Amino acid sequence: MSALQLYQLVALFLLCVGLYGFIWRRSLVSMLISLELMLNGAGLSIVAASQHTAANAVLGQLGALLVMGLAAAEATLVLAIVLVVTQRFKTSESISVSELKG
Amino acid sequence: MESLAHIAFGVYTALIVGGACIAVLARSLVRSLVGLVATLFGVAGLYLLMAAPFIAFMQILIYVGGVSVLIFFAIMLTHAAPTGDESKSRPVRKRLNAIFAMTVPAVVLAIQIIVHGPKGFEMPSEVSLPELGAGLLGPYLLAFELISVVLFVAMAGAIMLAWRQWGKR
Repeated sequence: MSALQLYQLVALFLLCVGLYGFIWRRSLVSMLISLELMLNGAGLSIVAASQHTAANAVLGQLGALLVMGLAAAEATLVLAIVLVVTQRFKTSESISVSELKG
Repeated sequence: MESLAHIAFGVYTALIVGGACIAVLARSLVRSLVGLVATLFGVAGLYLLMAAPFIAFMQILIYVGGVSVLIFFAIMLTHAAPTGDESKSRPVRKRLNAIFAMTVPAVVLAIQIIVHGPKGFEMPSEVSLPELGAGLLGPYLLAFELISVVLFVAMAGAIMLAWRQWGKR
């Protein structure tokens, strides 16, 4: 198996573990942790695909950098949303937010 | 890859696999965060292995230095107890759903990668730091500026959300 395929398999593992955790976990913070795992897999896949093929390597590395910036922005927003949810519902479980009023 | 590179790949992959399993399965949220940090270090090591040291450095700086601290703040501010939400029992259907969501992309994409995936080069291509800088200020200037706007809007929105809630008390 070539190096590119090994890197892609590791990235796929990160994606699948993140998906499992995203559905399995109850609290919003641990769902955020699973989301970060998935985003890491995406970055790893992008950089591996650009470094080990004839594709533009600069574009791949800058794309991974962009993914990291988006992950940071998303983590900031999720932190604020989790804070608001905790103060309003007194818990950070995702199930408590899913019920409609009425 | 040389044999030394194989050993390094194995070590980093073990770090990633162990860290990801702890991050997903640990009851305590702080342990789960420690697993995430281990995974982030492993991914940074893989970046080093594929000759992208700048991205590895940025991974450690942004994720380990920034995002994990943010998540730690989230854990502290939500008063998440180790015996809290995560240790309650779940319905069987939820476990089935989670396993289904994990296996379907795993099987489909793994077959695609192993059977039809491109072989690629054995040696990664080298990109120097000046080339990356020229790329950021040249053809990808718009994306560079837009990501700063996105970051600014996210920070401002987070402060707005938290501040309005805080002012109500």
